[in-house]
Amino acid sequence: MEEKQLNEKESLELITQMIRNTQQRIEKGNGIPFLIWGYTTVLVSLLVWYLLSTTGNPNWNYLWFLIPVIGFPAMMWAIRKQEKGVKTYIDKVIGYVWIVVGIAGLVVSASAIFLWSLPILFIVILMMGSGTAITGLIIKFRPIIFSGFAGILLSFLCLIVKGYESILLFALIFLVMMVIPGHILNWKGRSHV
Amino acid sequence: MFKPLDPLLHSELRLAIMSILLSVEEADFVYLREQTKSTSGNLSVQIDKLREAGYIEVERGFAGKRTRTVCKITAHGISAFEKYVETLKGYLNLNKPEK
Repeated sequence: MEEKQLNEKESLELITQMIRNTQQRIEKGNGIPFLIWGYTTVLVSLLVWYLLSTTGNPNWNYLWFLIPVIGFPAMMWAIRKQEKGVKTYIDKVIGYVWIVVGIAGLVVSASAIFLWSLPILFIVILMMGSGTAITGLIIKFRPIIFSGFAGILLSFLCLIVKGYESILLFALIFLVMMVIPGHILNWKGRSHV
Repeated sequence: MFKPLDPLLHSELRLAIMSILLSVEEADFVYLREQTKSTSGNLSVQIDKLREAGYIEVERGFAGKRTRTVCKITAHGISAFEKYVETLKGYLNLNKPEK
């Protein structure tokens, strides 16, 4: 492309073409954040469940902090690796949604461990399910919308199921809410390219 | 009589850059070069012209060890682009007749 003068019709065509190209290129789905947080949560939950149920030592609950300790660096790595050179308004909005949900989740989890007795598994799934459903609605991707709402509904099971089994249930819900739709989004995204 | 078209926007590469930046939050130099199929030298010159006019903001940073130049359209740039399109419509008789 050179610095050439255009006639009026060419100008309008160029504007339309550039906007269309950009939209096509960035509509590629990306399920990596769901997979990172989903798998990390499932694996840490299984580890905590195993250690708590075999030893009964409540100090193993501190291992929950492995989720942000593994998740944040993994996300930074993924963002750097997947640099696509362009950031859309949708990327920005989804980023804000998860910053808010993430901070709220971290604060309430820390409160549950250090300050009060809270039904934390229920609260975390309810919050992450809401974040997932909002993300699905923003990107207009049904599997993510459904899994988000499924997470919101399933979260109430964590109020019913008591004891260490509730941790297994928590892991299972994260598998349904994040891991499976994350793989679907990745697969769909690739098939569009 | 037709209003003159903004000469800063009425050039192929600069208009392409502005059209891309209008539809995204921000785009880096490599992305703009690929999308506009331009040379680095020419793209650099046109980006500077748009920046000097206050139509775009340019941030130079690092992505790992590499330098990364990120461009973003400004409110002034959006308003200039809207005016440009309105003027274009006038030339092409696309404006709706006033009732």
